[in-house]
Amino acid sequence: METLKTILSSKTTYWLLALILGVAFPSFLDGYLVSLLILIYIWMILCCSMNIIYGYTGQLSLAQAAFFGVGAYAFGLFTVKLHLNFWPAFFIAVVLTGLLGFLIGIPALKLRGPYFILVTLGFSVIISEIIVAWVDLTGGANGLAGIPRPSPIPLPSGAHLRFDSLLPMYYFTLFFLAITMIFCRRLIGSLVGKTFLAISCNETLAESLGINTMSRKLLSFVISAVVAGIAGVLYGSYNIVISPEIAYFARSMDLVAFLIVGGAGTMAGPVLGTMVLMAVPELLQVIPSLKTLINGIILLLFLIFVPSGITGGFENVKRKHYLSRIRSYGSARR
Amino acid sequence: MLEFLQYLLNGISQGCIYVLLASGLTLIFGIFNVPNFAQGHLYMVGAYFGFYFVMSLGMSYWLALIMATVALGFIGLLLYRFVFYPVRDAPEVNLFVAAMALLMIIEGAALYFFGTETKWFVVPFSRKVLAFGEITLPVQRIIIILGTIFVMTALQLFIKKTTTGAALEATAQQREGAMLCGIKVTRISALAFMIGTGLAGVAGVLIGPAVLLAPTMGMGPLLVAFSAVVFGGMGSIAGAVTGALVLGLMESLASGYISATYRLTFVFGIMILMLLFRPRGLLGREKWRP
Repeated sequence: METLKTILSSKTTYWLLALILGVAFPSFLDGYLVSLLILIYIWMILCCSMNIIYGYTGQLSLAQAAFFGVGAYAFGLFTVKLHLNFWPAFFIAVVLTGLLGFLIGIPALKLRGPYFILVTLGFSVIISEIIVAWVDLTGGANGLAGIPRPSPIPLPSGAHLRFDSLLPMYYFTLFFLAITMIFCRRLIGSLVGKTFLAISCNETLAESLGINTMSRKLLSFVISAVVAGIAGVLYGSYNIVISPEIAYFARSMDLVAFLIVGGAGTMAGPVLGTMVLMAVPELLQVIPSLKTLINGIILLLFLIFVPSGITGGFENVKRKHYLSRIRSYGSARR
Repeated sequence: MLEFLQYLLNGISQGCIYVLLASGLTLIFGIFNVPNFAQGHLYMVGAYFGFYFVMSLGMSYWLALIMATVALGFIGLLLYRFVFYPVRDAPEVNLFVAAMALLMIIEGAALYFFGTETKWFVVPFSRKVLAFGEITLPVQRIIIILGTIFVMTALQLFIKKTTTGAALEATAQQREGAMLCGIKVTRISALAFMIGTGLAGVAGVLIGPAVLLAPTMGMGPLLVAFSAVVFGGMGSIAGAVTGALVLGLMESLASGYISATYRLTFVFGIMILMLLFRPRGLLGREKWRP
C-alpha cells in the first residue's frame, strides 16, 4: 500500500505516463492531429528555451522567436543554397544560433528589468527586419522553400528509416522533446542550474555570494538560444517552407503566455501551457483572429489570479490540503 | 537642399506623433513603473474611434478628436483599475507581461471588431496639400504639428501650474514621500493612466486622416516611441519629447537617404547604443540607473 502511494505521488510516474501517451498517440489519432502534435512539440521545445532564460534565470527575453527564426533560416540556407547534408547543417545552424545568442547576450545582459526586455525586443525586431529585407539571401517575405526532411538513418536490419512521412517525423520530434526535457532536468539539478535559480531570486545577493552573475546569465542565455535554434531547425525540416513570420517577436509574446499559463520555472510548465493554449483553440476550431484575443485574456486572468500558472496552482491546492490534514492532528504550527 | 527640407518636415510631423506616444509612456512609467506595452494599440483604437465618430456618427473632426480622447482616457481608467492595480505588488516583469497580455487582447479584439481590411479616414479639409515652392505639405501634417504643440503645452501647464499636477510630479519623484504628504497615490496613478492613454487617443485621431487604418498600425510607432523614451531618458517628459523628435527626424532622413526597409533597424540600433553607453538616456535623471 505504501509503495503504491509513493509510486502514485512520484513525479517520475507522471512523466513516464506522459511519455507512454506521447508514444501511443499516433495509434489512435488521425493524421491532422498528429501533424498538430508535431507543431506543438516543436513549440514545447521553444517554450523550454524560454523557461531556461525566463523561468529559471528570471530574465524575460523577447528574442527567443528570433533565435528560432535564425536557427530555421540558417539550417534552410545551408541545405538549400549550399546543399549540405541534414546533420552537418543542423549542427552548424545550432552553433551559429548559439554564437548569435552569445554576441547579443554580452551587451543585453548588462541591463536589468524592463531595459533588458527592451533590448532583446530591439534585437528581435532587427533580426526579423533583416530576414524580410535581405531578399537575395532569404527570399524575403516569400519565404524559403525546399528545405529537406531529415536524411534517412540506416537501421541494423539493412533497411533505412525515412522521414518523408508523418509518423517517423512525429517520433523524431518527440525524441528531441524528450532529450530537451531531460537536458533541462539535468541542468536545473546541477550546481550551474542552482546558480540560475539564485540569480532569478535575488541577483544582488547571488553576486555577493560569489556567483559570477554575468557569466551565468550569459551561459543561460546561450543555452536558451541553442535550444531555440534546435526548435527552429526541427520546424524548418518539418515544414519544408519557412517564412519571416516565424521570427516576429509576437511569437515570443505567445511563448511568454504559454510559459506563464503553464507555470514558469517548473518542468511541466512549458508542456502544460503549450498543450492547453495551442491544442484547445485548435480543437474548438476558433477563428484565427480570435486566438490572440483568447490567449491574451487567459494570460491576463492567470497573471492576476494564479501568477504561478497551472503547476503552481496545483501545488498550492496540494499544500493547502496537507496543511489542513496536519492541522486536524493538532500538532503542527504554521 | 529642397529634398532635405521635405524630409525634415516629414520627420517633424511624424516625430510629433511619437512625442504624444512617448510622453504618455513616460507618464505611466514615471508614476506606476510599468512600461505600458499596449500604448501603440491604444493609439490604434483612438484612430478607429475617430474614424467611427466622424464616418458613422457624422461628428465634426474636432468633436471626434475630443470625444476619442475622453473615451481613451476612460479606457485607461478601466485598464488601471482592472489590470494594473491588481498586479501592482507583483515583480516588475509581471507588470510588463500584463501590458503584453493587454496588447494581445486589444489586437485580437481590433481584428475581430474592426476587421482586417484597411480603412480610409476621410476628412475633407485635411486632404488639401499646401505647396511652398517645391515643398509640399498636406494640411493634416500641419494639424498634427499644431495639435501636438497645443496638447503638450497644456500638459506642461497642468503639471507645473496646478496642485494636482504638482501631486503627479511628486508621486513620480518619490512614491512613499508623496503618500506621507497626504497625496492619494492610487488616484494620482489612475489620473496618470488616463492622461497617458488619452494622449495615445489624441495621437491616433491626429494621424488617422494621414494614413490608412489597420489593426496592426500601432506596433511600429510603439516601438519607435519606446526607443524614444529610452533614448531621451526614462521618467523625463522633456527627454521623451527630445528623443521622439530626434528619432522621428532620424527615421525620416535615414529612410530618405539610406534605405526605407531598414527603418526600425536604425531606430533600435540607436536605442541599443544609447542603453549601452549612456543608460540613463539623454536627459534622464542621474539616480535612474537600470
